Amino acid sequence: MRRLWRGAGLLVLAQFLGASIYFLLSGSRRKKSPIPVFIDVGPVEDFAPDSVTLVRRGEFYLNRFADGGFLALSRRCTHLGCAVTWDRERKIFTCPCHASSFSRDGSVLKSPAPRPLDLHPLIIEKGRVKIDIGTRRRRTLFSPQQLGYPAGKQKT
Amino acid sequence: MKKGLLLHTRPQTVPASALRFRLTWGLGGAAVLMVVVQLTTGLLLNFFYRPTPAGAPVSITHLNNEVFCGRLFHNLHHWTGHALVVIVVLHLLRVFGRAAYRQERYRNWLIGLGLLFLVLLANFSGYLLPWDQRSYWAVTITTAMLGYLPGLGPFLLEAARGGSEVGPATLHLFHTLHSTVLPAGLAVLMLWHFWQIRRAGGLLLKSSGRPGEKPEKLAADPHLFIREKAAAAIILCLLVYAAIFFDAPIGSPANPALTPASVRAPWYFIGFQELLIHTNPTTAILALPLLVVMFLVLFPLADPENPVVQRGITGLFYTLLGGFLILTGTGLFLRGPGMELVWPF
Repeated sequence: MRRLWRGAGLLVLAQFLGASIYFLLSGSRRKKSPIPVFIDVGPVEDFAPDSVTLVRRGEFYLNRFADGGFLALSRRCTHLGCAVTWDRERKIFTCPCHASSFSRDGSVLKSPAPRPLDLHPLIIEKGRVKIDIGTRRRRTLFSPQQLGYPAGKQKT
Repeated sequence: MKKGLLLHTRPQTVPASALRFRLTWGLGGAAVLMVVVQLTTGLLLNFFYRPTPAGAPVSITHLNNEVFCGRLFHNLHHWTGHALVVIVVLHLLRVFGRAAYRQERYRNWLIGLGLLFLVLLANFSGYLLPWDQRSYWAVTITTAMLGYLPGLGPFLLEAARGGSEVGPATLHLFHTLHSTVLPAGLAVLMLWHFWQIRRAGGLLLKSSGRPGEKPEKLAADPHLFIREKAAAAIILCLLVYAAIFFDAPIGSPANPALTPASVRAPWYFIGFQELLIHTNPTTAILALPLLVVMFLVLFPLADPENPVVQRGITGLFYTLLGGFLILTGTGLFLRGPGMELVWPF
């Protein structure tokens, strides 16, 4: 009889522990696939070719290359998450925390950063640049396919 | 004979040689006192502190400038928290030096490691609460280190931050842990820790060498208690002086868009930050810490009669300690802006 009670007690305790863990997890659960949140940063002409613009609202750099292609680079350093700054003179991104640096296209120039700066998906609609600030895409390498071009001017 | 609930944790008589200050340097007792100071001041601070990004800086300014003794209690909580980390590490070194971790004291060694872990967590969770630039970015990079753990990393990172970035959810989570789970855990483990000391028959003493000789025993009241009270009074005075003369640093409110020129993990984690610069992340924050923890948990089980093993343990222990001190010292004093190596003078 005593063992029965002890078993029942343990069972209830285990149930409570399980419920507590699920209680904590379910409350903090994020959606598996983040919802795209597009923000309109303005017409294509606002961004001169060969320029880097900080967009504070979304915490990213909008990077327009000399050939007219766009790239939206997250400010979060891929090492430990500090905000990188654009060094106008040297034309590189530098991280103040551990001295990582990144080239214009976000590739790692100097470790400890393990991978290039993350990308925000970007579309150009009716001549306006729109950035999805709800999504951050990891990548291992820069490739020209990552660039977005205004309609009509797309290369290849 | 005096009676009281608290006296249950204290012996009634103590061997005369256990009263020698240099046996323990009073480090365990100092840690107890400081935890009590933290519980008391923390309880008071919690009446004014608001754990939201907008509320935290405002409530701390109000506390510091308008509340009677607010600044004093805030400073006391701040400096005692940091001193406590130092004291518990010194306490661990003293226990190691006395080899007071074998057989019936082994379980208490493990409880002590648990307490050290809780003290670090308590300090770290409190580190975020001022919600200024220093604390925001220190917590950002320290929690980001978790993300490098293979497999579970990203999950742990999100769990520790309550989201993908350090934000309001992180502050709420850290405040909840800091004011409920951690103090309660500390209190429970501490009582267990004291009870285990008594169960092992008090402090570990050198045997006199003459078998059968009973050590001289003195009544704990007054011989032990008067010493404890005097030590407590001195430590309390030192802490209050620190709180009067040195203000807890409060910088400008946290700004997720602006990383300051030098970002550092809290000083007790700076060794890991330093390791991360020199080695790959899996080694720095998984393999090495895991090996060190395994060493600390397992070495008391080694054969105490084997001099080679014992010498090896002592050597390894102090090598690890030295290595960690060098890493911490480098991170604290030799890193300038952008983490470049610089001379401090």
